[in-house]
Amino acid sequence: METILAQIVTGLSIASILLLVALGLAIIYGTTGVINLAHGEFVMIGAYTAWALQTYVGIGLIESLVVIFFTVALFGWIIEKVVIRHLYRRPLDTILATWGIGVMAQQAIRLAVGGELRYVEMPSAMSSSVSILGLEISAFRLFILALSALIFGFTWYLMYRTSLGMKLRAITQDREIASCFGIKSKRIYSLTFAYGAGLAGLAGALVSPLKSVSPEMGTTYVVDAFMVVVLGGVQSLVGTVASSAILGELTGFLAFYSNDTMAKVLVFCAIVVLIRFRPQGLFAAKVRT
Amino acid sequence: MSKRTALQIAAYGIVCLAILLVPSFMDDAFILNKYARYLVLGILAIALSLSWGYAGILNLGQAASFGLGSYAMAMALKLRTIPVHTGEAGLPDFMVWNNVETLPWFWEPFYSLTFAIFAGVAVPVVFAVLLGSFIFRGRVTGVYVAIITLAALVVVNLLIIDQQRFSGGFNGITDLAQLELFGLTFDAYSMSSYYLIAISLTVSLFFALAVTKSKAGLILQAIRDHEERVRYFGYDVARFKTFAFAVSAGIAGFAGMLYTIVMEFASPTFLGVQLSLSVVIWCAVGGRQSLLGAALGAIVVTGMQGALSESEIFLETWTLIMGFTFVVVVLFLPKGLAGAIEMLVDRIFRKDDAVPDKSSVAADRCGVESKAGAPR
Repeated sequence: METILAQIVTGLSIASILLLVALGLAIIYGTTGVINLAHGEFVMIGAYTAWALQTYVGIGLIESLVVIFFTVALFGWIIEKVVIRHLYRRPLDTILATWGIGVMAQQAIRLAVGGELRYVEMPSAMSSSVSILGLEISAFRLFILALSALIFGFTWYLMYRTSLGMKLRAITQDREIASCFGIKSKRIYSLTFAYGAGLAGLAGALVSPLKSVSPEMGTTYVVDAFMVVVLGGVQSLVGTVASSAILGELTGFLAFYSNDTMAKVLVFCAIVVLIRFRPQGLFAAKVRT
Repeated sequence: MSKRTALQIAAYGIVCLAILLVPSFMDDAFILNKYARYLVLGILAIALSLSWGYAGILNLGQAASFGLGSYAMAMALKLRTIPVHTGEAGLPDFMVWNNVETLPWFWEPFYSLTFAIFAGVAVPVVFAVLLGSFIFRGRVTGVYVAIITLAALVVVNLLIIDQQRFSGGFNGITDLAQLELFGLTFDAYSMSSYYLIAISLTVSLFFALAVTKSKAGLILQAIRDHEERVRYFGYDVARFKTFAFAVSAGIAGFAGMLYTIVMEFASPTFLGVQLSLSVVIWCAVGGRQSLLGAALGAIVVTGMQGALSESEIFLETWTLIMGFTFVVVVLFLPKGLAGAIEMLVDRIFRKDDAVPDKSSVAADRCGVESKAGAPR
């Protein structure tokens, strides 16, 4: 019983990180249709910003979260303005262009601060563990869980209770008609992209104390996050949460019963089959093409 | 034969001739080996150009076929080594280190070189036919094909790394014998290997060209430009796409076998995501809709990378420049450098070929619109 509970908690912890990375990706993909392979690099830049702030300015991780969000969001906004803007009519090419941007970002970081691993310190208040139901759980992991829930709540509010969110949903349903009603779709797209990038940056900052920070760290996240988005379905926030949870728990459990590699193989096979039969994802919202 | 086709064949022939003539100016074995490596990657790019440029299937898992071919050749050559490090059974060294007692059944047939060469093409083709008919029968298109092929590549890669006992894991299969065929020994650092690969490139290039000029090739291009319309005409779109996917996999597997010969080992990086996406870059820069363009793109890009790799700082800056070039090409030259050259040539011959030119533009436009609508 205790091992099962421990497994569930491990799975939840994986899921919360997945959710943070995938939420931004899901919003970008759902709204603009852009397959953003540079998303992993947004995560990486978030982690490096956290590292830089801690090392050179001396600000702790929690205090710097807001700065990190806006730094990476700005980065995403610039990329949207310079490159992505030209590619909305060519979705396949966005894969290529964003991958090129990812390569550049990785290399730029490697040239600027070196390719060696960096470490970010965990906030001292959260380095201990908390005991819940007889289980010892790292306080920082709980914090990530809580924060990802909070960020999800905020995003949901933004999407469904503000006029920005309403415009965004209108554009997703039908860009031309929305534009006819005077919604500035270009501006909304830029904002969406920046917001998604910012979320990825936050995710990077939050995982930085758990894993080492390196220029290549984003690559692993982007593939997993993609699988979450594909599984969850386009433009479905609830779907993103559910599929993060499913994939997190599934990876946790399969890794427990066989090994990490086989767990990944099985998850990937399942996703291939899923795309084949339900390309719109498990929890797809109705979207007009 | 139209004037354009004649021009195309002439251009292809001149390039192949130039490649075949290189050893007469250059007899440094080390440099020839390097060039041979670039040429093999050129063949890999031809394979992708065939599926991506001509059939519109963006296969991000092209390296899976390449790697399978490479492993098939490596397995055969491994079994031909004199078993220095191993026991009486003559097991490959890494199996002994992993406490494997007997040769696994799927290694047995690789004692025959003929079988290995057959398998190097057949295994990727069978894999492609299975995966291809699975996805194309379900009318999966566009970005989803890209995601599925990428996922399939990751699965194959993970499995090979995981099955260390039978595949050598991270280290791959090293310490190989030299290929002996028709009484010739193909030392990686020799003229014979270079010629083998240069001739293979020529054959692959003209084979792929023949495929694109065939009726099936035309239908594939029509599918690329407007899939629905071709389906309404009564063609079995899924079958044609699977065909292109399989031919492309076969060429990639063939290239993989050659790669093992020049590199003298097989490694999981040969079917890594990195290589697979690099092939896409080469094709995009050279011109995905031109087989020759894609091949030259691969040769030039990897060649420059090789030339600059002597200095650490250059290599790092190079990656940055490459990423930048790639983004610029995607933005402004969707058909790559070959597309730009072709446009120039077309402009010169405009009077002769004005009509087909216009229709192809129209078809392009339909293709763009249908693609833009697809992923939502």
